[in-house]
Amino acid sequence: MSELIAQLVGVGHHYEEGPEIFKGVTLSIEKGTFHFLTGPSGSGKSSFLKILYLGLKPTWGNVKLFGKDTYKMPSHYLPLLRQKIGVVFQEFKLLDHLRVVDNVSLPLRVRGIETKRSLKHARELLDWVGLGDCLEAYPTTLSGGQKQRVAIARAVITRPQLLLADEPTGNVDDDMAMKLLYLFEELNKMGTAIIIATHNQRILEKFSYPQLFIKEGMINKEEPVLNLPKKKAVS
Amino acid sequence: MNNRHDLPLKDDAAARFVPAIIALMVYLGTLCFVFTLFLLHSTHSWESQLTTDLTIEIPVFQGIASAPLESRVLQVVTQTPGVQRALTVSQEEMIHMFRSLIGEDVNIDSFSLPIMIDVSFDRKEIVDIKGLETHLKSISPHIQVIDHRAWQSQVSNLIHTSVFLALMITFLILLAALATTWFATRTGLLIHRQIIEVLSLIGATNAYIAKQFQINTLKHGFIASSIGSFFAFVTFFGLSALFENENFSVLLHSSFFFSALSVFILAPFVTAFLMMVSARFAVMKALNL
Repeated sequence: MSELIAQLVGVGHHYEEGPEIFKGVTLSIEKGTFHFLTGPSGSGKSSFLKILYLGLKPTWGNVKLFGKDTYKMPSHYLPLLRQKIGVVFQEFKLLDHLRVVDNVSLPLRVRGIETKRSLKHARELLDWVGLGDCLEAYPTTLSGGQKQRVAIARAVITRPQLLLADEPTGNVDDDMAMKLLYLFEELNKMGTAIIIATHNQRILEKFSYPQLFIKEGMINKEEPVLNLPKKKAVS
Repeated sequence: MNNRHDLPLKDDAAARFVPAIIALMVYLGTLCFVFTLFLLHSTHSWESQLTTDLTIEIPVFQGIASAPLESRVLQVVTQTPGVQRALTVSQEEMIHMFRSLIGEDVNIDSFSLPIMIDVSFDRKEIVDIKGLETHLKSISPHIQVIDHRAWQSQVSNLIHTSVFLALMITFLILLAALATTWFATRTGLLIHRQIIEVLSLIGATNAYIAKQFQINTLKHGFIASSIGSFFAFVTFFGLSALFENENFSVLLHSSFFFSALSVFILAPFVTAFLMMVSARFAVMKALNL
């Protein structure tokens, strides 16, 4: 049996007086798997990712991450679990007062890696996502697509065990979207479990990975839409 | 150690006045503490000079020989248990004392100065003053026994109360400085809550976030405290010079002066350190909730 990265048991959630967005979801994410998270708008894709990166405590049920029960976990322990997770936020969440290169190197720095080494890694990664000439720029000066690539670079720089991406290709053109997907595939090959929330039908058709489909508060695992051969990553 | 600043704390509008407040508090606090030291030093110095616990006054009447009475009184006093020393104040000292009280131009020869005997007790023993007084009155009913310990004790209590109050004020000033740091840090947490949330989501521990505040507080706290302490030293030096002119040489007495100087030097380090601890507790308490 392969190692479980995340395990949800009977997870339910609703926002204050709002309707239930999850009704007892039970699901396992294994190490090295790749899933697309799909579903209609407002179905709870972002909330599901939030629950997984411990940004949202479910109203009931239990979430186990990396074998640890998070239900009664003290809050100061959560960042240590989050260090194993990379997140691409839908609204990027870049720090505007830091340069692009500092934003990307931030996850390494908070893990105690020395500044010089973390900046070197950040430069390499930014080069790869085509932002080699924006290292010294501040996020406020970047376009939506550029910000998205910075956010992706920040999420993958630590080679996390679990990568959660909320619409990571929403602001980039198709070529860049494909390139970013190949980057995620590369990470996946190195053992990272990946969950990408997307609406992009083209991506869903091109990359034949199972889908987690959210509908009416439940999550169903669906096999790939098409079994097209996977693209090789561009080196 | 990673000293990069991931939080833009130096641009906080809410914390802009904190260094000035801290500088003022350190100024007041160090002066108050040095004043406490001054009181303690003065008390110690004064108490060490107090050698007389009791004075016996024997009035001198014209035509009556006073020497036998004096020697008899001295004999009785020295034989009283607990008396360490009994000495007759010399005539020169008496004249000097009276001149300082009534002026130089008064003819002192027209007065019949009493015989004064200074008595010191062994502090470890209890002296029966009532018994001694009764005994002396039986020798001559005109003999007066003046017990100095009561007023000395009152003055001493007053000084110790003043020391306690000064220490309390110093403590309250320090507490106010730490509370200012605490609230400024909490305000900083609120201002930067979105950045802190991002840092936390990408794996920054509470200690890492607290460190950002600590470094900033330590730096600004040290600069502000140094400024406050420097101005307190200038004030102290000015007062010392002023009091020196007024013969209050105790201020520049070497041991007190160096004690005061060490307070001015240590104040910025101690204050900055305590502020840093206050900032850390404020962050950790808020983030652990």
